[in-house]
Amino acid sequence: MSAKVSRRGFLTAAGGAAAGAVAGAGLVAVAGDDDETPAAPPGTGRVAFDGAHQAGIITPAQDRLHFAAFDVVPGATRADLRELLAAWTGAARRMTAGLPARPLTANPAAPPADTGEAAGLPPARLTVTFGLGPGLFAAERFGLTARRPVRLAPLPALPADELDPARSGGDLAVQACADDPQVAFHAVRNLARIGRGVVVMRWSQLGFGRTSSTSSAQETPRNLMGFKDGTNNLTAEETDELRRHLWAAADEPAWMAGGTYLVARRIRMLIEVWDRASLDDQEATFGRRRASGAPLTGSRERDPVDLAAQGADGPLIPPGAHIRLAAPETNDGIRLLRRGYSFTDGFDAELGQLDAGLFFVSFQRDPQAFVRVQTRLGREDALNEYIKHVGSAVFAVPGGTRPGRPVAEQLFA
Amino acid sequence: MAVAGAAALTLAACGSEPDEEIAGAREVPVALTDAGCDPATLSIPAGPTTFVVRNEGTEQVRELEVLGGTRVLGEAYATSPGREGRLTLDLAPGRYTVNCPGGAETATGVLTVTGGTPARTATADADLAAATAGYTSYVEMQARELQRRVRRFATAIRAGDVPRAKELFAWSRAPFEKIEPVAESFGDLDPKIDARVNDVAEGDRWTGFHRIERGLWVDGSTEGLGRYADQLERDVDRLAERVQGLTYKPEELANGANGLLGEVSASKITGEEDRYSHTDLSDFEANVLGSQAAFGLLAPALRKRDPELAATISRRFDSVLAALEPYRRGDGFVSYDTVGEPERRRLSQQVDALAEPLSEVAGVLQR
Repeated sequence: MSAKVSRRGFLTAAGGAAAGAVAGAGLVAVAGDDDETPAAPPGTGRVAFDGAHQAGIITPAQDRLHFAAFDVVPGATRADLRELLAAWTGAARRMTAGLPARPLTANPAAPPADTGEAAGLPPARLTVTFGLGPGLFAAERFGLTARRPVRLAPLPALPADELDPARSGGDLAVQACADDPQVAFHAVRNLARIGRGVVVMRWSQLGFGRTSSTSSAQETPRNLMGFKDGTNNLTAEETDELRRHLWAAADEPAWMAGGTYLVARRIRMLIEVWDRASLDDQEATFGRRRASGAPLTGSRERDPVDLAAQGADGPLIPPGAHIRLAAPETNDGIRLLRRGYSFTDGFDAELGQLDAGLFFVSFQRDPQAFVRVQTRLGREDALNEYIKHVGSAVFAVPGGTRPGRPVAEQLFA
Repeated sequence: MAVAGAAALTLAACGSEPDEEIAGAREVPVALTDAGCDPATLSIPAGPTTFVVRNEGTEQVRELEVLGGTRVLGEAYATSPGREGRLTLDLAPGRYTVNCPGGAETATGVLTVTGGTPARTATADADLAAATAGYTSYVEMQARELQRRVRRFATAIRAGDVPRAKELFAWSRAPFEKIEPVAESFGDLDPKIDARVNDVAEGDRWTGFHRIERGLWVDGSTEGLGRYADQLERDVDRLAERVQGLTYKPEELANGANGLLGEVSASKITGEEDRYSHTDLSDFEANVLGSQAAFGLLAPALRKRDPELAATISRRFDSVLAALEPYRRGDGFVSYDTVGEPERRRLSQQVDALAEPLSEVAGVLQR
């Protein structure tokens, strides 16, 4: 038997005296446009779902994240996958507008169509971004091989990787970002529920605080090491740079137009060790001042990073400094749009330490850009002493949707 | 409506999906005027009813609510002059309140629903009657089988035959697991038969299957178990007596089928149920079979209302039972402590995939 609290009162559960369905009228007002930037109706806390690109990429980074990777179950068909993406798109479009995931009915004998925890909460700038993993395009799965995105392949083994397969990979990705953690959780929970029978969750990650700015209007937040990292991130305002570094290339299949690639890395920080490092060591590790966020060659956060500047003992920004190795200047001009979140999953029982770190998310035109930068960081970054990459995944992110249409519609056309 | 007010408002204002109307509902027009509901006194026969609400005033009165007691059963909106809204309810005989908030004179009215036949098809009702009658005999049959098996189990214990008793343990409790939600409704009997050690309140005596299980597997002996065997026999006899002639409602079958899968998720997948013998997979199978039996009885009625849902559920029952097959050994299953975490997760996800559509059955049958 189950615990006493879960007793179901099988014989006493009375049927409702009345049951029925509300016959609603009117239309969902979903703002849609073909502008580069999804426009938010002012004052509503609502980010438009439809547009040339999916929301949640250059949308100014929200405070909270719930990310989930799913696998499509064996036996599911191409039609199942197409229907799932359509159902997910519809539910996501509704939830980002502050509506229940599915229309509610007044039938008390049925489980509510929406799980309910977001009822009465504003949309909190919720965005839901979908990604498709390399496995979906494998031969003999869904007949999608011919439409595989040109640059989609599992990431190669990278230096210093300590990946846990249970926290890596996946056929489908759902990135839900919002300013209210309950709103983000609600989105993932309801999509998982809708997908039951076609997909199973493979792994999931909550992020409690943004670590990136994707708009010049946003402050650079601090990561769990106490530093501002990513001051020189790509931002929504740099339209030409976004075209060069972020949005899918012209040789990609039609359904990727306006799309991009998402790389996710669960980076565990050994914060107990970090907390014992001297301030000098910490600043030399990042190449920035902790208090101001300024590069070691300046005094304010946005002062130029002068990689050539020399001090008494060599370069002011040390050879292994994170800022040097990640800089576009030392990576053939490569720029990524980073959109990461700090996480904690509570307690690491084995080590008796906090299980915390950075859930790194980057968007780029080509995942090889990430591979290139991370190969170098994995070998030389002074930060490696304090971090471990324990999860990894890559997804193709289809372009944006037209109002009422499903994501990646042309993939199945 | 029977959901949170805020969500209801959002829905009525913004729902764009097709109306989930009840087929064959009778239409009852109600006008919203600045005075309130017109008419404010309604008398209609029982059964599916669609209130067609039309705004014939200004924007002073914009909605109609139907309440049973203090509970809002549903709302219909007609927010501006000339607009229409609809609300469909399956009303049982009785007195209800209708509210047209904001009305100057008749903001509150009375709806009398008189005894009548709900406009359901006669065949579907016959299907449901057959289902509930079938479940009565299914439960009686499982209870008799439980008595027979427990008798053999108890005999082995009294004979001091530890290997034989261990062999019979999972087998003897399977009929109980098949009708567990019914057994659980007898709040006094269920703990006596099936409590786990942590379910026992301080000062109460721990008896039943799991007490014996601990003796057999942890102590490796039948010493002192005879009295528990005797009592178990008496308790299952009482259970068998009490289920005689019990009648069930269709939604109880549906909720029971659902509840059995909840049992699987809550205590079998986790290995908490049979923590000494690790025979959890036998209980798992019995729960699923019991759920499948209840569903199978409802299936003819369900197929008439939602054939696709019925087909999906049947298919997923097959998948769950097929997923158990690799673990079958002889009359039982492998010891559950040999089933690793990834395999447990796969089983759990298969059960979830079945439970999700199964949870919709009760609602569909109410339509």
